[in-house]
Order: sequence, then structure tokens, then C-alpha cells
Amino acid sequence: MWKQVNEALTEATRRVITGVANILPGMLALVLAVLGSCLVAVILKWLLERSLRSINFDARLEQWGLSALAEWSPGKSPTRLAGRVVAWATILLGLLVGLGALEAGLASQLVMQVFDYLPNAFAALVLLFFGSLVARYLARGVLIGAVNMQMQSARLLSLGVKWLVLVLTAAMALEHLRIGGDIVKLAFSILFGGIVLALALAVGLGSKEMVSRTWEKQSKESSKDAEESFHHF
Amino acid sequence: MAESGVLAESTQERLAALGSVDVVAGIPTYNNTATVARAGEAIERGLETDFGAMRWLIVNADGGSTDGTPARLRESLSGEKLLQLPYSIKPAGEVSIPQSGVTGKTSAFRAILNAARTLDAKACVIFEPDVTSITPDWVEAMVRPILEKQFDFVAPDHMRHRFDGAINKSIISPLTRALYGKRIHQPLGGDFGFSNKLITHYLAQDAWNRDMGQFGVEIWLLTEALCGRFRICQAKLGPKVRDAADGGPDLSDALVQVLGPLFQAIERDAMFWQRVRGSEPVSAFGQAQETSEETASIDVQKMIDSYRLGYQNLLEVWGPVLSPATLLELKRVARSDANHFRIADEVWVRTIYDYALAYRARVINRDHLLRAFTPLYLGWVASFLLEMREANQADVDRRLERLCLAYESSKPYLISRWRWPENFNP
Repeated sequence: MWKQVNEALTEATRRVITGVANILPGMLALVLAVLGSCLVAVILKWLLERSLRSINFDARLEQWGLSALAEWSPGKSPTRLAGRVVAWATILLGLLVGLGALEAGLASQLVMQVFDYLPNAFAALVLLFFGSLVARYLARGVLIGAVNMQMQSARLLSLGVKWLVLVLTAAMALEHLRIGGDIVKLAFSILFGGIVLALALAVGLGSKEMVSRTWEKQSKESSKDAEESFHHF
Repeated sequence: MAESGVLAESTQERLAALGSVDVVAGIPTYNNTATVARAGEAIERGLETDFGAMRWLIVNADGGSTDGTPARLRESLSGEKLLQLPYSIKPAGEVSIPQSGVTGKTSAFRAILNAARTLDAKACVIFEPDVTSITPDWVEAMVRPILEKQFDFVAPDHMRHRFDGAINKSIISPLTRALYGKRIHQPLGGDFGFSNKLITHYLAQDAWNRDMGQFGVEIWLLTEALCGRFRICQAKLGPKVRDAADGGPDLSDALVQVLGPLFQAIERDAMFWQRVRGSEPVSAFGQAQETSEETASIDVQKMIDSYRLGYQNLLEVWGPVLSPATLLELKRVARSDANHFRIADEVWVRTIYDYALAYRARVINRDHLLRAFTPLYLGWVASFLLEMREANQADVDRRLERLCLAYESSKPYLISRWRWPENFNP
């Protein structure tokens, strides 16, 4: 009996050692792949940032009207954003290579899933980017227009428009990422409706004063409006 | 010879049959039935009285009026010396931006100038159709300097109330003077006189294929004459009263329509104006008329409120455009009470120059940039009115001369920032 126990233990130990021996090169390869990719990422990041700085990339983006990108960038520098994106993409690639060395089946499955999801993630990113640009453009247009119309609630209106567009964009992005499902739609409807209601109330309350002032002016038949009696041209 | 495709074949045949004339008077129209007869009568009478011995023709370019404007003009004129030609209000391949005044003014001007050149006219004058105060002597005042003094470009100098025309007084006239070196009182007077030589020069340019807009074409005509070093003079005319039904654009739109083309011209002519030093007066003909001293009630407080509201909300737009020192000064103005509400000339001039630079650099969307200028402009108007409320015409003229000199003395600032924009961080 003791002999049988001894054999079982030996066999188990041999199996574990064999298992560890089998997985060890894979683990080592994973660690090496991650470390290597980190090194490559740092080099690539440095090279990219250096070359982008040499062509004054941040200033050029601003000149092309893409200043909104700076607001979403670390340190308000699109150059740093580009460097980080490239670095993380390289590390991710290294991780996938390492996982492939560890377990070929698992890695190929993971890679397939990642590449399957990539178009959606890319579309969501593009949506977010253009959504933020449109939100900023519209918010500024509304702000300037409202100020020129001498509306005291100009900033509130502008903020409302900005968040309407941003919420709409975020909902569309989440839809593309297949995150949240119906909850996102429901939350979006509530939030969007809430913002519209808040805006309607704000404008309505603001307009109440405006309407009463207009009636007051008409009833008094006051002198012509200042803008009319003064010829700017 | 007319440019090919601008005038219809039948029009060209009629022009060929007419031979040549000495003076062409152009009237661009588009739905101006209420006022065109009066303008036509005054122009015809002016031509008959002062140029009866010469050959002349009235050319009406109409953009397809639907209210019977061409027929109304035909009925109002006693003689047969009228040529009516249609023009397209939208140049081929262009989307026409709605403007006040005559729609498609660029095409109308092009058609009239082509007709004048085909007829080999020595002088061509163009008058606006919606002016109710036009008198026959305007024609003589605009034409005679071209025929007798060999001037190439005649700009009108209309009699105005001392506070009227603030956009012109605060920006257009002093900026044109400082940059192009000629002291023209009303660069955008609306009426024009051209010599044969200048017409030939204009029609040789390729700017005609796009719709430059109501004021764009006027600015282009003037700056092209200035850069070409053509002989320019002014004709003193009576007050210009427009048809009340044509309310014109609102202030914000007007500023966009004026400042946009003006800044574009500055960008286009940078090589020219950087070499210009100082300014020189421009000959003026005609009798200066007394202006009314009456002051209409103007609500300055409303303008101050607009400025303050702008300062509270538009700093995010003004910030990347104006220098920190200017912003600081604008802050001081926003906080001061009505009695001390003054924008110094140097601050105002730097604001205008910074705006021209920001327009060039496309710091933000150009339409937003120009629309955000409205509160600043209203602030200047309020400051000017408060300072000049007790002043007479002579005082106002002296004050505006000081402003013009401030534009000239700050020109090196514009030039240095224009040439080395990277050396300046707002």
C-alpha cells in the first residue's frame, strides 16, 4: 500500500513539474513580450512626440480649427495624446503576442474578439470626437447669438445646447460599444428630456420678463428704439 | 469688348448698334419699384442738364425683379436713352449668401462695367436704386472729376449727422486710411464713379466669378483702385436717405458683411499696405453742406449693457484674440460707471488690429469671431457718444482725426504681428 501511495505522489509531483515546465517558457515569453513591448512603446512614443513637436503639431491643429482635441488631451497637448495612444497600442499588441505564446487557442480567440470589437470602438471614438466638436461649435454660436440679442441667460442656453449634443453623442457612442443596452436608451431619453424641459423652463421664465417689458414699452408708446434712431452705417 | 458670356448676345448687338458714348450711368436693381423711378428721374435730369451735349446712356442691370422694377424705371424716364439688361443674381457654381440691398451686386456691377467698356465710355457712374434723397447734381459731382480732372475713381462723401455712420467712422475709414494711405471719408458710400482705364483694369481681374456680397464688391473695387495706384477723389454730396421699407441687415450681420471682406482685403493686399507709410488727403470736389446738429434720443445705457453682457460671456472668444493688456483695459471699462465709460483710442485700435490678425490666423471660426465683435463695437459707440454728447461737428471731426492718427501710429504693431505671429503669445 505504501508503495502505491508513493507511486501516486511521485506521479502527481511529476505531473505538476511537467505542467509547470510546460507553462514556464510560455510565462517567460509573456513577460518578455510585455517587457519588450513596453520598451518599444517608450521608444515609439518618444520618437513620435519628438517628430510631432518638430512640426509644431499642436499649433497646427489649432490653426486647422481642431482646438477641441487639445481639451481632451493630457496636459492639453494633442502631441502627448498621440504618443500615449501609440504607446498603449504597442503594449496591447505585446500582450496579445505574449498570450499567444502562453496559450495559442486562447490568444487567437482573444485576438478575434478584439478585432471584432475594434470597428465599434473606432466608430464610438470618432463619434465622440466629432460630437465634441459640434457641441463646442454650436454652444459658442448660441452664446454669441444670445449675447448679441442681449439675453441675460445666454450662458445657460449655450451650456444647454452643449450638453444636449454631448449627451446625444455619448448615447450613440455607447450604442456602438454595445454597452448598457436598453438602460442607455432609457437613461438618454430621461436625461435628454430633462435638459429640454430645463431649457424650456429657463427660456420661458426669461421670456416672461421680456414679454412684459415689450408690452410695457408698447403701452407707453415710448420713443423709438435706440438701435433704430442711431444709424451705424 | 465685353467679357464673353457676361452679356447676352442680343444685348451685345444692341450695344454694338449704339456705338460709343461718353458717360454711362448704371443703376443695379432688384425689387426696388418704390424708389427706382425717383432715382432714374434724378439721374436722367442730371445727365441732360450737365452733359446734354455729350452722348450718354443709362444702364439698368436687373436681377430678375418680381415687382415690376424694370417697367417702373422705363415709365419714369422721358427719353430713349435706357438700356436694360438682366443679370443672374447667383454666379455660376456659387451659392449666394443673402445680403441686404441689391441681391447679387457683384454680377450687377460686372454687367454694367461690361456695357460701359463695350460702349467705350469715358466715365461710368453707378448709383444705388433705394436712395430717396438723390438729386440731379449728384451726377455732375461724380462725373466731372473723371472727365475734366482725369481722376479714375470717385468716392461719394455724403453729408451726415455728426454721430451717424459709426461703423465707418470707427473702423472702415480710419483703417483704410492707415493701411492704404488715403484719407477717404466714406469708403463704402455705395455710389461710384470710374474712368475707362479703371474699368478695363477691373474687368481684367478674376475676382468676378464669386459673389463678393453687398459690401464685399464695394471694398474690392476701392482696394483694387488703391493698390493699382489709380487717381482717387471724393465728391461731396447731399444726405443719403434710404427707403425706410428696406430695413437693412441687423447690426451683427452688418458687421460680419463689412468686416469679413475688409479683413480679406487686408490679407490679400498685405504686400501693398506693409510698404505704405503715413497717409495723404484725397482731393474733394463739390460744395460741403451744413449738417443737422439735432441729436435724436439715443439710449447709450443699452449699448453699455450690451458691452457688459459681452464682457461677462464672451471672454472665451476674446481671450485667444486680444492681448492681455487689451483684455485688462476692457475689464476696467466694463466695471466703470456710465460717466467714466471710455475706451481709449489705443485700446480700440489694437482691438481692431488683433481682430484682423485673428481673422487671418483663423483662431476660431470666422463667423463666430466677427459676430462676437458686436458688443465691443457697441462699447466703442457708447464711449464715443458719451464723450461727444456736447460737442459740435468741428469737435467731432477733431476727435475722429485723433482716432485716425492712433490707427496710423499703431500700424507698426500690426505689421510686426503680421510678419512674425509666432513671436506673440496672447
